Amino acid sequence: MSAFLQATIYGLLQGGLLALVAVGFSLVWGVMNVVNLAHGGFVILGAYVGWEMHQWFGLDPFLGMFVAAAVMFVVGYALQRLLINLVINGPIFITLLLTFGLDLMIVQGMNLVFSADYRSIRTSYASQSLALGSVRVPLGRLLAFSLAVGITLILVAVMNRTRTGMSILATGMDRGAARLMGIRARHVYALTFGIAAALAGMAGAMIGTVGTFNPSAAASFTLMSFVVAVLGGLGNMYGALVGGLVIGLVQAWGGQYLPGTWVNALAFLVLIVVLIFRPTGLVGRKYYAARLEV
Amino acid sequence: MRSRKLAVAVVITASSLVVAGCSSKGAATSTGAGASGTLTIGAAVSVTGKLAREGVLTKEGYQLCQEKVNTKGGVDIAGAKVKLDIQYQDDTSKPDVAAQLVDQFNDKGVKLILSSYGSANTEAQAAVIERNGQIMVDSAGADNKIFSKGYKNTFAVLSPATEYASSIVKAVAELATPKPKSVVFLSADDGFSKTVTEGGMKTATTLGLKVLDPQYFPNGTSDVSSALTKVKGEQPDVIIGSVHLVEGVAIIKQAKELGVTPAGFGESVAPPTPDFAKTLGGQAENVLGSSQWTDATKGTDKYFGSAKDYTKDIQAKFSHAPDYHNAEASAACLALVLAAEKAGSSKPDAVRAALSGLDTESFFGKIKFDATGQNTYKPMSVIQIQNGKAVTVWPTDSAEAKMIWPGTK
Repeated sequence: MSAFLQATIYGLLQGGLLALVAVGFSLVWGVMNVVNLAHGGFVILGAYVGWEMHQWFGLDPFLGMFVAAAVMFVVGYALQRLLINLVINGPIFITLLLTFGLDLMIVQGMNLVFSADYRSIRTSYASQSLALGSVRVPLGRLLAFSLAVGITLILVAVMNRTRTGMSILATGMDRGAARLMGIRARHVYALTFGIAAALAGMAGAMIGTVGTFNPSAAASFTLMSFVVAVLGGLGNMYGALVGGLVIGLVQAWGGQYLPGTWVNALAFLVLIVVLIFRPTGLVGRKYYAARLEV
Repeated sequence: MRSRKLAVAVVITASSLVVAGCSSKGAATSTGAGASGTLTIGAAVSVTGKLAREGVLTKEGYQLCQEKVNTKGGVDIAGAKVKLDIQYQDDTSKPDVAAQLVDQFNDKGVKLILSSYGSANTEAQAAVIERNGQIMVDSAGADNKIFSKGYKNTFAVLSPATEYASSIVKAVAELATPKPKSVVFLSADDGFSKTVTEGGMKTATTLGLKVLDPQYFPNGTSDVSSALTKVKGEQPDVIIGSVHLVEGVAIIKQAKELGVTPAGFGESVAPPTPDFAKTLGGQAENVLGSSQWTDATKGTDKYFGSAKDYTKDIQAKFSHAPDYHNAEASAACLALVLAAEKAGSSKPDAVRAALSGLDTESFFGKIKFDATGQNTYKPMSVIQIQNGKAVTVWPTDSAEAKMIWPGTK
């Protein structure tokens, strides 16, 4: 029983982190209909910013992640405005190709600048754990989980209650109509991409604190973001959170009760089963799923 | 209209001939010794992708070899000194690309090859090497499977995979007090790591340890929490990871998070890599690791001198302490250079014969190949992270420090 509880807690904590990794990916896909294959690169870039802040200024990674968010917001905003916007009206394959190229350049750029060395942002507390009987709750992961959930909730509030958030949602629903209402679509798209990159950067700084990273880890975060976004569903800011928690739990339980090498296959199996019964994802909205076929 | 059809037919035929000419495998006749006084060797290394860290260390080993050989005038081929020229390609850490690049080298007439990093890449390359009649010295492909296929053209300077965990088990059984009673293996699911696990379990059983069921996880994962949770209740005395760097770091980090505290940890590959202690800090203390080479290795050669000299050279050129990935790469290059010198030729058949008969001391220890191409005469060392540095603790005749046990306090 304690093994089950341990796996459940670890899975939930891991899932929360996955949700923060994926929420920006889901946002960009939902609003702009762009599947951003460079998203994993943004996550790792954020981890490097957090690492540099810690290395040079001694900044705690849970503060450094706000610097990572700011840096990545600027990077994301500029990339969308100057590059992705050029093909935003093109078929989805063109944006796929562009973001794939971007990912290659970001990963190779990080290889050149930071080398392929594995790194971790070391703190005195991240590997400590709270003992609840025989079950351990890792402190670093608990902090990361709490922040991930908190940030997702803040994002939901911003989207639903602020003028900026509503203009993002409106542009995502009908760009033409949004323009007629005086919304500057170009700016809104860049803003959306910037927010997504900032969230990825924050997630990266947390991942750098509880785990290890190097440039080649980018691909696995893009893949996981894709799985989480599709599983949770588009068009609902809670989608990534639900998807992340489900994947975290499935992997933890699968790893506990099945041969350990099956965990990835199990995650995709769950994805397929969910899509058979709920093609729009667990909490996704039909309109956004229909747009996937555009 | 007819003339247009004819023109198209001519273009297609000409293109086909060009393509056929370009893709004829094994047809190149050049030997790798250029007319301009160079001995050209091809090396596909993993500069990008998931093996980039170890791949770059491998490349550094090859680069130092080229520098040391050329500083001494070059390779002596039948009395003529020729410069060593190693040409690099990035295999992006993918076995199929590593194999294709060997083919490309063959098309360019480069017959002498230094291997990529890792068993999967090297295994893919070895099959192509055999088909093309090239010669490869393997610096980092340790899986015993590579040497069970009857290949005649691949020679490995390193100890086989079965020795990695075995050596840790032997060291613990010999030096640990109190004697551990049980051991469990946590293993990545790639071929190399599985072979490491099998070798370690066999040795542990022979030495009378209780061997618990091994736990496997996907190769390259940074989450091994499930495997650790499974073994936590069994309270093993020793946990041995058959892993690469990223899984090795995850075992130590997550064991601390989950409160898994055996008397000691041992891991293949990861602990001797500089990033291990750098990434884990204090948590890396007292973790045991198996190493193909340490700077306490005995033996000298004319290009690198002793192991201590090698340490200084790597430090001076790359500003970091050497790890065994550097050393095994330099040793592979050294074996190829010495074989070409012994053969007095860079022709593949002559170099293969010379490699088969090679019996030499070096900074890497003894290099002598058996009939399968393995350097089985070279033992592995066991290191332990003490005060942030990897020090040799086994075998005792070359130990730099005593093994600290229990390793977890």
